[in-house]
Amino acid sequence: MNVVRLEQHYRYLQHLEAAINACAFSVSIDALGIVTAVNLQVTTLLHQSPDLLIGRPLTSILPPESLVQWYDWYSKVLDGASVSGEIGFKLPDNSPLWLEAGCSPVCTNDGQVEGCIIIGMDITSKKLAAIKREQNEIYYSQVLEHLPLGLQQFGTNGENIDMNSRQREIWGDAHPFFINPDYKWLQDPFYRLNGLAAIFEEARDTGKTIKKEILLRYREKRIRNITRLYPVYFEATVFPLTDKARNMANLFLILDDITEKKLSELSLQKSERLLDNIIENLPIGYIQFDNFGFIRRINQTQRVFFNSPNPAMRQPFNVMNDELSIAFELDKLFAQALDQNKTFRIEKRIDFSQDSNWTTVDREVYLDLTVFPVVEPVDKEMIVVALVNDITEKRAQEEENKKNQVFLQQTGSIGKIGGWELDTDTRFMRWTDQSYFIHGCLPQEEISLHKALSFYSAEARENLQQLLKNCSDTGRPFDVYLSVVANGQQKRVRYIGQPGYEDGRLVRIYGVVQDVTEQLEIKDALTRNTELMRLFFDTIDMGYAAMEKNGNLNFLNRKAEKMIGHSVAIGSNIFEEFPRLSGTVFYPRLQECIEQQTSQSFGIYFSGADKWYDFLLTPMQDGGISVFMRDITDSRKLQKELRKANEQLSNLNKNLVNQNKQLEDFAHITSHNLRAPIANLKALMVMHNEASSQHERELYLSMLHEVIKKIDETLNDLVEVVQIRKDVNVEKEKLLFAERLQKVMDILLVDIETSNIKITYNFEAAPFIEYPKVYLDSILQNFITNAIRYRSPDRDPALHLETTKVNESIILTVQDNGIGIDMERFGNKLFGFRKTFHKNKDAKGIGLFITKTQVEAMGGNIKAESHPGEGTKFIITFRTE
Amino acid sequence: MKLLNMIFIVDDDPIHQQIAKIMIERQAISTGIRVFSDAQEVLDYLRDKSGDSEALPDLILLDLNMPVMDGWEFLEEYALFCQQLPKQIKIFVLTSSIDEKDRERVAGYSFVTGYLTKPLSKEIISHLS
Repeated sequence: MNVVRLEQHYRYLQHLEAAINACAFSVSIDALGIVTAVNLQVTTLLHQSPDLLIGRPLTSILPPESLVQWYDWYSKVLDGASVSGEIGFKLPDNSPLWLEAGCSPVCTNDGQVEGCIIIGMDITSKKLAAIKREQNEIYYSQVLEHLPLGLQQFGTNGENIDMNSRQREIWGDAHPFFINPDYKWLQDPFYRLNGLAAIFEEARDTGKTIKKEILLRYREKRIRNITRLYPVYFEATVFPLTDKARNMANLFLILDDITEKKLSELSLQKSERLLDNIIENLPIGYIQFDNFGFIRRINQTQRVFFNSPNPAMRQPFNVMNDELSIAFELDKLFAQALDQNKTFRIEKRIDFSQDSNWTTVDREVYLDLTVFPVVEPVDKEMIVVALVNDITEKRAQEEENKKNQVFLQQTGSIGKIGGWELDTDTRFMRWTDQSYFIHGCLPQEEISLHKALSFYSAEARENLQQLLKNCSDTGRPFDVYLSVVANGQQKRVRYIGQPGYEDGRLVRIYGVVQDVTEQLEIKDALTRNTELMRLFFDTIDMGYAAMEKNGNLNFLNRKAEKMIGHSVAIGSNIFEEFPRLSGTVFYPRLQECIEQQTSQSFGIYFSGADKWYDFLLTPMQDGGISVFMRDITDSRKLQKELRKANEQLSNLNKNLVNQNKQLEDFAHITSHNLRAPIANLKALMVMHNEASSQHERELYLSMLHEVIKKIDETLNDLVEVVQIRKDVNVEKEKLLFAERLQKVMDILLVDIETSNIKITYNFEAAPFIEYPKVYLDSILQNFITNAIRYRSPDRDPALHLETTKVNESIILTVQDNGIGIDMERFGNKLFGFRKTFHKNKDAKGIGLFITKTQVEAMGGNIKAESHPGEGTKFIITFRTE
Repeated sequence: MKLLNMIFIVDDDPIHQQIAKIMIERQAISTGIRVFSDAQEVLDYLRDKSGDSEALPDLILLDLNMPVMDGWEFLEEYALFCQQLPKQIKIFVLTSSIDEKDRERVAGYSFVTGYLTKPLSKEIISHLS
């Protein structure tokens, strides 16, 4: 062969190799598939030197993507053919290597195929993109095919090009689309009517996407034996596709089954309408506020309730800044509901009269408000709904009931207690039945304040009026006793009142009225009785105590307390309060008094205190004991008596027997003469306490006065007698009868002159006497008084006094010419205590008793001689030393 | 209970007269009440009406301690003619005396029904008829 040509050829080959090496992979393999040569591209790709690659099977270095393809190629090459095309291998890192390759046989000189050479360009990235595209296409067509939406492709004239399975399903196999190849759906009256054709045309004509809900068809549904047609709704979307030249190429229709959505929407609408209706016709008010407090909606009830003079006024109304709603804190309620996202139910008093803008209700109402936030379903805004229930009437009833209850409680159902309530606005009163009864009028009568006050006396009325005024002005409660005239009957009532507020405003004054007539009368009577007793017993200058047999004290006068030395509580025991009594004769004498039911008179000397007390114990009918006591310590007479008792024991000894007898008489007298008026006292007190009328009680009181006066007198007399009898050693002095007589006549001057009595005397035989002056004066005074009192109407009264001396004794005779005494009948009583023998009102039956006492106290005696109608002669024998 | 025809109260104490009258009236045990301050007057009346049963009282409340004629004298005098009266008059002594001697002495008069001590009370009055 030509060397030059060969050389050229070789160079050409070298050139070629360089070119291949620069841009392509080149691998040579033998007939067994063992690599015999690789170019630089391959070693670079595999990061291995040619030595390591040569001698290994190609499939281990670069495993083909498809062995089938490779062996196909290989076998063809071994048969002497050349193969080219795309072939894929896996790189050692498992990434794909795609080559646009040619595979050519290499022959030996004898034409035997000894191997092949593969030269390939790397097309991996291009190939992969193509694969992906292919995969995507499959995927998309699958997706479209299986889309839950119906998808259909039309030509611009509505000719059906393609549709997915869902669309086929939607149309149904029986649809003309699938039966009639010439079907022109745009002309189908059904689709013209339901608007699908119009959508298509609009999209085609405007180039825009058009979407609408259409009723595509009806579905039959058998329910038991009835077949019903249900509408099937679809959302139809038609959109055009333009080609590169911006010409309308295809139109797509997407059908989306919205039956369910549509139906629920419809039912929602329906239920909304229903709800709307319900709200509108709710028997309670419904107000819907927006987020800002403006009213969005008011139902009929609420409109009627508001009776808005100008419904347009509602427009600017805002619950957050309206004066009325702020005044009644509706703004707070609104804000609370919004902020706390909670339902609030509250009873509110609202005075609509304070608003003239949006209601003419013009009165106070009570509302049961339910305020709750709601999320508005459409715009998701938080709004507030208020349910308004007018409970004014119910509330008024409740209030009334409450008032009634309070009223009843305050009144009490028993006792003479009535309830009352003054409405400060109407000035009318509410009375319970008992109140009517107390005021003596018929229930149900309308009672104005004026009328109520008319039951009271002018003074009480003024008083009550003032109290009510104070109560309403200053809220001061009152509790007062008043006189009321009910049915002409005078009553005493207790009137108690207090203010009643509502929301800080005085609306009423209420309280009770109680008939306390009886209560007060009893109390009065008791107080008066006690006062009288005290007054009476305090006026006597003696200690007085009333006690039980065991010494428990029922009553003490002040003097007694003074004598005991301290104040004494009623109910305490005399032996405890007056310990000095123990060990004295008091106790045995008390027992004697109780056992014998006779009065006991005795004296006790308290050596510690150097006091002499006189005691008189008198049994009382109720089993108690009256104790009279006198402090005789200060009496000089007593001291003298004591002295003389020592000096003249023998003299006194004789008199003691007499005096003892006198004391017994005295005891008898006191028990008799005190008992009678005390019995009256007791009877009268019982009668007084049981008396039913004021008049009666007054009568008994006046009688009580009489009795007490009498007791007072009797006691004074007794005191005098006791004094006389005790003072046996009363100081004597030398007295001239004439002088003493003149003195007494001076005292009795008026009586003497009125009666015109002529008093004569002859004291020459015994002109004077050693005698207590007081006694002699008393004796003379008694005789003159008696002579005047019992003078005879038939003659001029005359009294003659004369003294004689017989056996050292001085005898005084007092002779009058009066009416005289029947000595046979009354002789034994003549000198008795409180014995009278005449119907003369002045007769007290005490004078001669005292005279006799005074005479006998000094050891003398007295007797009388008398014949009725002829006057009386008293003969007094004074004992002389 | 049968109403008594007439009750006589014989007592000089005007207060007691009133008390007795009121209390008896209130108990309503008789058709009439007469009050005497002087026992002599009662004796005169009884003697005068001794033939007229209707005019005579059914009951006499007699005090003992009285001026002029006292209860004792009245009883002595009454004893003399009570047998001749057409009906038996109940006589109660009503006195403030609780002296046992007085009680015993009254017991000596068989025609005296009882001995009562003052004060009068509802209980006492209810036992009269």
